[in-house]
Amino acid sequence: MAQLHTTINGEPITAEVDPALSLAEFLREKMYLTGTKIGCGKGECGACTVILDGKAVTSCIIPVLRAEGACVETIEGLERGGRLHPLQEEFVNKGAVQCGFCTPGMIMSSKALLDANPAPSKAEIREALGGNVCRCTGYVNIEQAVEAAADRMRRGEG
Amino acid sequence: MQYVSASSSGEAVELLTRAGGKGVIMAGGTDLMVEFKEGKICPECFIDVTKAADMAGISADGERLVIGGAATLTQIARSPLVKRYFPSLAQGCGCVGSLQIRNSATLAGNVVSAQPAGDGAMALAPLDPVFTVCSAGGEAELTMGEMYAGFAKSRVDHSRQLVKRISIPLPQKGEAAAFYRLELRKSLSLPMLNCAAMVHCEGKTVTWARIAMAPVGVGPVRAAAAEAYLKGRELTEAVMARTGELALENANPRSNPLRGSREYRLEALPVIIRRTLEACRAQLS
Repeated sequence: MAQLHTTINGEPITAEVDPALSLAEFLREKMYLTGTKIGCGKGECGACTVILDGKAVTSCIIPVLRAEGACVETIEGLERGGRLHPLQEEFVNKGAVQCGFCTPGMIMSSKALLDANPAPSKAEIREALGGNVCRCTGYVNIEQAVEAAADRMRRGEG
Repeated sequence: MQYVSASSSGEAVELLTRAGGKGVIMAGGTDLMVEFKEGKICPECFIDVTKAADMAGISADGERLVIGGAATLTQIARSPLVKRYFPSLAQGCGCVGSLQIRNSATLAGNVVSAQPAGDGAMALAPLDPVFTVCSAGGEAELTMGEMYAGFAKSRVDHSRQLVKRISIPLPQKGEAAAFYRLELRKSLSLPMLNCAAMVHCEGKTVTWARIAMAPVGVGPVRAAAAEAYLKGRELTEAVMARTGELALENANPRSNPLRGSREYRLEALPVIIRRTLEACRAQLS
């Protein structure tokens, strides 16, 4: 076991961890943050996407100790005072959610994009979401949700 | 299992030595973590080099572009220096996996994982890179051709060695490089075929050419017969088409159920080689 010092959704955390765990396993099984999903377990579907020091990563293939001293953001950290993040609201408004399994990963990839680039082009949105696979909604509504959220965030929301 | 983060390449080598062959260097870890979870590798210790200060970043020193062994594919694909000197390398690095993968994975790892058609490694192949490889015995410099030992097998033993940096001679007047990828999808898919070329022309005449192609053998395969043919000729339509045909002499593709049969790849390869050379010619004119 090893000690991990990290920040998850703004909260400093110290935990005893098994170094063999992935960040996704740690978040789900030790921190009970089950919004982060594990799909393929190989970094190929994007369901486990979280933001690590500002960058979207597939947490199922990130060793947990890489989060040492880092800031981790998960889907649970987006809501503020009972209010959903504009990305979450627009995913609902645009019908960008069906079964919902890929949604947390989609939203975290989108958030990493919008945090760095408030006015992304369609190509940039597609690049950011290229690593997130959805098997039921299709991608058009998801792209529209990101555009709508970006619009609202540029006007000062979120 | 232990996991240790090294603050320098020297410390990483020390940790490897102490582990006595049972430690493994981890950069991005996007391949290693999958192999570890599948039980294909069982190291006693992972030695993380992502925070090794002397393996970070991208710089140019007037003669060469230096890419740290821990520089991520996203850093390379978006680097103004790389885009200025080697746009084809930025393009190739920007094709690997997905943005999430590129945010962790490194170009050094793309070469050391030794998959035959790694887009980053392929875009790098014709640029004459030198790999600085560190071990307990000191530093050694390896060429691209020396990095591959076999199919998915690197000459770099990650339980004893690490790639500290990759150095590429800066482009000279009359040189041009291009990368081309035949793909089913933009993200999360290996290429059906990829090709990268660098040519040098004096006036309109090619003085030398380096053409790499994959997956048609072990790692990036040089199209030696095509390169020899191109020397001393002009990049005309007929010459580029013939060069593509001659590339088949060094190509031995396998059939893949998803990414094309051997027969398809043999038909398509001359076309993508011609297109890569056309892109070089466009830069030179």
